[in-house]
Amino acid sequence: MHTAAVDAEHEYVYEDDFDGNSFDDTSAEKYTDMAAGKKRNSIMSQESEFEIDDQLYSDDDGTDAYNDYTLVEPLSTVSARELNQGTVPNLKYECLTAQSIFEKMVERVNHLKLIFNICTEDLLSLMQHFDWNEERLLESWTDKMDDLLVEIGLKNASETVSGTQIDASNGTETARTLNFRNNFSCMICCEEKTTNTFSLECGHEYCIDCYRHYVNDKLNSGNIISCIGCSLALKNDDIDKITGSPSSKKLMMSSIKSFVQKHNKNYRWCPFTDCNYIIHLKDTSSLDEYARLHYSPFVKCSDSHRFCFSCAFEIHAPADCNVTALWVNKSRKESANLNWVLSNTKECPKCSVNIEKDGGCNHMVCSGCKYEFCWICERDWTPHGKSFYQCTLYKSDDDKKNAKTSLEVAAKTLKKYTFYYKMFNAQEESAKLDWTLGQAVGAKVRLLQEKMGVSWIEGQFLAESVRTLYEGRTALKWSFAVAYYSDASHNLTKIFVDNQSLLSAAVEDLSELLEIKEPAKIMDRKTDFYNKAGYVENRTSALIECGRDLLCKGICKPV
Amino acid sequence: MSRAKRIMKEMQAVKDDPEAHITLEFVNESDIHHLKGTFQGPPETPYDRGQFVVDIEVPMEYPFKPPKMKFDTKVYHPNVSSVTGAICLDILKNAWSPVITLKSALISLQALLQSPEPNDPQDAEVAQHYLKDRESFNKTAALWTKLYASSGVAANGSVEESELYGIDADIVQEFESQGFAKDKIIEVLRRLGIKKLDPNDNNSVNRVLEELLK
Ligand SMILES: [Zn+2]
Ligand SMILES: [Zn+2]
Ligand SMILES: [Zn+2]
Ligand SMILES: [Zn+2]
Ligand SMILES: [Zn+2]
Ligand SMILES: [Zn+2]
Repeated sequence: MHTAAVDAEHEYVYEDDFDGNSFDDTSAEKYTDMAAGKKRNSIMSQESEFEIDDQLYSDDDGTDAYNDYTLVEPLSTVSARELNQGTVPNLKYECLTAQSIFEKMVERVNHLKLIFNICTEDLLSLMQHFDWNEERLLESWTDKMDDLLVEIGLKNASETVSGTQIDASNGTETARTLNFRNNFSCMICCEEKTTNTFSLECGHEYCIDCYRHYVNDKLNSGNIISCIGCSLALKNDDIDKITGSPSSKKLMMSSIKSFVQKHNKNYRWCPFTDCNYIIHLKDTSSLDEYARLHYSPFVKCSDSHRFCFSCAFEIHAPADCNVTALWVNKSRKESANLNWVLSNTKECPKCSVNIEKDGGCNHMVCSGCKYEFCWICERDWTPHGKSFYQCTLYKSDDDKKNAKTSLEVAAKTLKKYTFYYKMFNAQEESAKLDWTLGQAVGAKVRLLQEKMGVSWIEGQFLAESVRTLYEGRTALKWSFAVAYYSDASHNLTKIFVDNQSLLSAAVEDLSELLEIKEPAKIMDRKTDFYNKAGYVENRTSALIECGRDLLCKGICKPV
Repeated sequence: MSRAKRIMKEMQAVKDDPEAHITLEFVNESDIHHLKGTFQGPPETPYDRGQFVVDIEVPMEYPFKPPKMKFDTKVYHPNVSSVTGAICLDILKNAWSPVITLKSALISLQALLQSPEPNDPQDAEVAQHYLKDRESFNKTAALWTKLYASSGVAANGSVEESELYGIDADIVQEFESQGFAKDKIIEVLRRLGIKKLDPNDNNSVNRVLEELLK
């Protein structure tokens, strides 16, 4: 515990003006994108490479596993008890795909068929028209059945007169085929050619090339596609006939997509790029309780992408959705004014050689002069010891001499937000690099498996470590958003800062371990990995729970 | 290429039907993307006797994608921008179908002049005018038709700006006598959607004054 670190917090008094010298839009954008968990995908998607077995992890939503509120600093028993009261029910959700939702819809349609007395295809169109909302369909159906069929194009307006033949596909099937025609004159392309044509029972006949072009253009709309010449609907069979491939599938999927978008209270796309999973929250009633207790409804898709169901951001604990939204909003507005560029290269403070960060570790060693310094404050690493967070210690007495360097003067003038933003971003960058690093190590372990017969299970500690490290970094990252909105003078905030410091040290430790280059050594230090990863896990839980405590007690007041 | 064939056929169809009083011509013979179409204002509307010129851009994917149309002629109409000539009409957007032709689209524009859709306006100021005071709106629309859509009769210059926007000349004069500039008065009245003003309606008078003093 570095009490000095706590004192240092007082240095970050909020000042409102800042000198926005250089404008860095790109880094600002990068940041907000990352905060949204978008660009992260390239890193996150490596998970499968590590073949992380989910069963190895407690399958929590990140909400109820943080009761392990262990803190080196004694915490008052009162707050500890209160925290234990704040447990929320587990979220009941399932991970679906557009395909599996569609299959459920088809199942429903097969049930409903008995009530409606029309063929599956027509009923499918009806459901599609009503955005797969049974109740709405039933309401409209009883009111004005015939009008509805005409409106949707399942029936010709002239047919309504008879009103008896509900099943439009009966007896008219023959009209819905491709016809081979000699010297057909198509009024769409104005070509005269020997070609296949298509027409519905309305008789509007066009060449197959035109029809195909027309249909292909509309497959992504999710809406019912009608005859080119009138409002009579094309059914899935017709669409497949016209395009010569199972294209109606694509149309059904786009229709399901709009269903998901329209039911965003219960359904949420996994926000990770190129992930097609959909989380279906069966019961949204507990969401209010989550919000009240400053928990976030974290969910996980079948690809192990974890995100917040409420705001569709990455896991943002200890920040709640509100802090997250405000922080991201603020960074969108203000990061454009930040007067420094975030990058992965820095000049060595001693010899000015350019150094590239090759892992998430903030403990830098210059390749030129071997100077060891901290990535964040660019100061000598020695006083940092095990806690990088000490790098916020500009004013502690024994550092007064160092405080004269221009870098530190600059750092001191960093305004409150800028400071927290920088901290936030450093963790963001580190997390990304950790994953890259982890991937490289993972490849080496796979080599070990092949050449030295290390079993797959045996190699898993590495994947676990990388994941733990990533989660620790993410929690640390978002903790700066919480710290930004917290009353710095409050004792619990100081404890929070201590927790940040501890997690940060733990994370740096583990990160350093992951930088080991030789695979054989990695295997040797397996126990080390287990211990350090376990420690990071504990520290992560503690920090998250402490942050939630700040929110519950109103010490963190996001405005 | 089918698009060229189709456009040529459409132009022929227009020529074959002189009764429709529609014309369709290339701006430049070497460029089949760009045409100008004309149609006549529907009778018994303020657009009667007008000849309306429409700029037509035919996209590569025509007829699967709609042509881009906008009025070259200034039109005073709720669904047409009085500044840019942009048109708000569903068949030129989502309701487009490949069976619609340039000619039928122009006929739809004609129909649009006949029956405006003030609830889906392109020009909010004009739409307000239309909804609030149809008689005054009709006068302004007819004036625009006379000024901009009539061949030969060049009445330009002799028209007061207030009249151009259907604003009662008396109230402009009233505010002018209080020392405000005419341009400014007209700008404020247009912005507030005020065409007429009862001198006893203190609320409205004050609102105008407030804006004028800003
Ligand atoms: Zn054709
Ligand atoms: Zn038809
Ligand atoms: Zn996913
Ligand atoms: Zn959230
Ligand atoms: Zn150096
Ligand atoms: Zn430091």
